[in-house]
Amino acid sequence: MNYSMVKRLILKDWYLHRIPIAASLLGGIGALGIVCLGGQLAFTAGLVLLLTALIAVGSHLAISTMVNERKDQTLAFVMSLPVSHAEYTLSKLAGTLLIFLFPYTVLVLGSLALFAIPHGIPHGLLPFTTIMAVEVLLNTCLMMSVAMATESQGWTVASIIVGNICINIVGFVVAHLPGIASGLSGASVSWSSTASVSLLVEFAIIALMLGMTFFFQSRKRDFL
Amino acid sequence: MMDLTVEFKGVSKQYPHFSLDNIDLELPTGSIMGFIGANGAGKSTTIRILMGLVLQDKGTVQVLGHSMPGEQAAAKLDIGFVSEDMRLYGAATLEWHMKFVSSIFPKWDQLYADKLVQRFDLKPQQKIKGLSHGQRVKAALLLALARKPRLLVLDEPTTGLDPVARREVLGELMAVLADEDRTILFSSHNTQDVEQISDQITFIDRGTIIDSDDKEGFLDQWRRLRLVMPQHAEVPRLPGVIDVGGTGRLPVLTTNRFDPGMLTVCQDLGATIQAVDSMTLEEIFVTSVQHRRETLAV
Repeated sequence: MNYSMVKRLILKDWYLHRIPIAASLLGGIGALGIVCLGGQLAFTAGLVLLLTALIAVGSHLAISTMVNERKDQTLAFVMSLPVSHAEYTLSKLAGTLLIFLFPYTVLVLGSLALFAIPHGIPHGLLPFTTIMAVEVLLNTCLMMSVAMATESQGWTVASIIVGNICINIVGFVVAHLPGIASGLSGASVSWSSTASVSLLVEFAIIALMLGMTFFFQSRKRDFL
Repeated sequence: MMDLTVEFKGVSKQYPHFSLDNIDLELPTGSIMGFIGANGAGKSTTIRILMGLVLQDKGTVQVLGHSMPGEQAAAKLDIGFVSEDMRLYGAATLEWHMKFVSSIFPKWDQLYADKLVQRFDLKPQQKIKGLSHGQRVKAALLLALARKPRLLVLDEPTTGLDPVARREVLGELMAVLADEDRTILFSSHNTQDVEQISDQITFIDRGTIIDSDDKEGFLDQWRRLRLVMPQHAEVPRLPGVIDVGGTGRLPVLTTNRFDPGMLTVCQDLGATIQAVDSMTLEEIFVTSVQHRRETLAV
């Protein structure tokens, strides 16, 4: 595996998508600012905007780095470079994930930092927030995997819809889990084994999805 | 033993509605092969297999001493590839593309790249999405040439170009030919372009290579004999005649194995030789394809 080549391809995608990344970051920071205004309405509006910014940048990256590479016929250019199928696949999966992780990490850390500011968010929400933040990451990995495997805009849009529905379902289910529901409105953080297991399950699904996508895609027989 | 840059041995690839059958192809180092076929004949599939982008079902492919597709990354360090359906990144400038490609290819020649920018009248600061089709092809060609490849693979690069852009692209290719160590595979359905720059010609039709020879061989061996036959005389049956056209007393024989002795045979049978016409590569290609299709249909 030529990691230097993989790095160059990742930097290429970073350069080509720097503007949407910056826009999502600004949008997310704006959403956090709204949450800081305090009150139920600001909290809800800010949270919705924050989620929208993260889902938007995730779906944009999945479509533009993977689906559009074929649709815009730039795949032939990339594959004319000294790169193997496995290196290309790794650069796309790792690159898109790393690029997404930049605004994601900033915004998730920003969200968690809000708990340290005295403005009324119950600290008991912290485990739920963490689980939902990882769920957003899982949702992005689902879109990436589908985009990489199918290179189809239709299937990727379908995965975006499914992922968004899943976020709501997971949010509802997690909020009602006995180990989490009881501490939600508490003034202090109550980290239960249920929260740990939920996170482990999410990370395991992410690893499985990305691992399987890399395994099958890097063994694809026909690239163009 | 001949030094080969590209060697296909018994390569086959099956698709639901198309198959490439048992392709044997040799491209000696330093040669310029024109790869001619109609649309859908299998040129692009063959080139994709050569580039390691499509895995053949059967057979072996060696490119620059590397087995494809397994060693494609190493092989592509010395290959410049431009195809008609290749696009650059619309949101980035040509200058960015040059920097990106130069960071990958150690043999990148910036002076040559700058010269090509001038020659092709390109503006490095211009975004690719603002370029015309001709300028995009020239930009892609620049990126392929300035990396100083040992093998240049061009898949229909002149398709869709206006006459001026086509002449500029072909002119630069002619200049590149001065480098005797460089091998070029040039696919096209435009025989005029191929005839201009190639020294080897290969015809492909419906997934099968139907003929391959050096250009002079084709042009020397293909002839049209225009005869005037005496009343009630039969058209002479000559070896190597693949098509008999014309009308009863004025037959036109097309041969791919012309030998001046054929004229003597015709005259001995009472025919008058009205003309012996050379054939263009396009006429040779079309006749070859028609002959093969008629043979298969029988």
